[in-house]
Amino acid sequence: MKNKRSFFQKLILYTAILSIAAPVIVLLLWSFASRWAWPRLLPAGFSLRAFEELFGPHSPVMPVLLSSMGISLGVAVLSAAIGTFTARAIALYDFWGKELVSFGGILPIIVPGTAFAMGIHVVFIRLGLADTVLGVMLVHIIYALPYTVNIMLDVTRSVGDTHEVQSRVLGVSPSRTFIHVSLPQLMPGIMSSISMAYIISFSQYFLTLMIGGGSVKTFAVMMVPFIQSGDRTISSAYSLLFLASTAAVFIMIEALIKRFAFWRDKTE
Amino acid sequence: MARLYGKVSSALGNNHIMRKLEPYVLLLPFMLLGLLFFLGIGNALLQSLGYIPALGLSELTLSYYREILQKPALLDSVKVSLAIALVSSVLATVLGVLLCAAMVHTGIAGGWRLQAIKLPILVPHMVVALFAVTFMSQNGLLARTLYQLGLLGSQGDFPQLLYDQNNAGIIIAYLWKEIPFVAYFVLALMSSVSSTLGEAAENLGASRLRTFFHITLPLSMPAVKKAFLIIFAFAFGAYELPFLLGATLPKALPVQAYVEYVNPDLRHRPYAMAMNSIMLLLTLAISAVYYWLLRKDFKGTGGGRYEK
Repeated sequence: MKNKRSFFQKLILYTAILSIAAPVIVLLLWSFASRWAWPRLLPAGFSLRAFEELFGPHSPVMPVLLSSMGISLGVAVLSAAIGTFTARAIALYDFWGKELVSFGGILPIIVPGTAFAMGIHVVFIRLGLADTVLGVMLVHIIYALPYTVNIMLDVTRSVGDTHEVQSRVLGVSPSRTFIHVSLPQLMPGIMSSISMAYIISFSQYFLTLMIGGGSVKTFAVMMVPFIQSGDRTISSAYSLLFLASTAAVFIMIEALIKRFAFWRDKTE
Repeated sequence: MARLYGKVSSALGNNHIMRKLEPYVLLLPFMLLGLLFFLGIGNALLQSLGYIPALGLSELTLSYYREILQKPALLDSVKVSLAIALVSSVLATVLGVLLCAAMVHTGIAGGWRLQAIKLPILVPHMVVALFAVTFMSQNGLLARTLYQLGLLGSQGDFPQLLYDQNNAGIIIAYLWKEIPFVAYFVLALMSSVSSTLGEAAENLGASRLRTFFHITLPLSMPAVKKAFLIIFAFAFGAYELPFLLGATLPKALPVQAYVEYVNPDLRHRPYAMAMNSIMLLLTLAISAVYYWLLRKDFKGTGGGRYEK
């Protein structure tokens, strides 16, 4: 009886994993398919047509991909920094308006993006921020902050301020205390905040379209028309590049964490 | 000894004055961005009431809301968005909790399997839309599989799941993303409840099913409720999937709002904003409930630790 139930639960789990993996595998097949007509279950042939088009000499893909990654990395680092400050204030201090701050923090997740985007558009036009990279980065940061604040809040609460207080009591200056005592403990959280904020910024379509107004081209904005057009080979190749570049950034961040841990061990 | 004491008291003395100001200094960038956020939302609300001085409209009125709720075509948009959000989030919550329970009970809650479950959370909606096209269109892989099995006569016999008024494709695409989200969101709380009180109940002779429905699930409810509210609000107000997979008519609210917004006749703009505000008010009501749940958990027994 017990085995039977455990079998049923494993079935649920592996069905889920299979349903998650299947489209990703099909995406790979489609990006390299040269012909895949009805009713075949596998492509009739493979080619590099899509990638030749993406990486061709006159293709705007690489420049847009790189500048888009730059924008998102900038957004990620800033969101992680602001998230760290904000979480520190909420976790370690008592102040007036604390509940309001933690409530307001969740709103961008819940409020519809179209309402905010269309509302802020006019404001940004007046401020001269519409159609600028800075404007796009600002709205991306607003949408990444709920996640980074939440991650940093967990980490800051679990680290606490006991080590910091000790360091201060022993006469270490606040800035040195922060760099040598607090920051190393917060680093894993900061790195996962950066990853999360990166993926949110990099995936943003509607906000970028509204605020960037076509003059700020990100990879997401560039690839949506291909998905709309129905060319499955090209749009699969775009999606694959999207996922691969994200994975590369995540691996880079992971490597930085390891490097940081190594450096910390050496200095201690 | 005296020197140390002096240092301690001066450090504490400084703290006393500084500590009042410090949190506000730390919060400054957050507050400035928050101000921008509320400017955006406030402006959307103001325009929905017909206040757009640039267009010579400066009288506050509720007439745009009234018109939307009276025009069948626009009311349909409201219904479409509600239906998509409700069906996808109820199904995703039930199935997500089931998946989470399976992960907790098989003890397979970490490693590569957890990474696989987390993957859809990281895949953007436009790529999910592409997945939906490759699988669910009438010449997609599902139709092909059924055809090869002899269960389908021709492409046309496969039900129209995309670009159709039934919105099935949008809902299934949301499920692909949201079931894992719910499972992951609830996992921390459910595995801690299950490994303590759940096992205690089983040791006292309760069956596993009974333990789950009477102990583990009720105690995991705070996380389940929050996950539901987040995905409901998101599916109600999100643009990408209805835009890429939805029917021409009626369009979901965010898509229809954008159509009104970019209409060259600027007098359509208040309609766009009124549609946005309908979404805004409903989602704000949802977030008020979320906040209330959050506070209740803080006051309750430790549930606040898992708020996320």
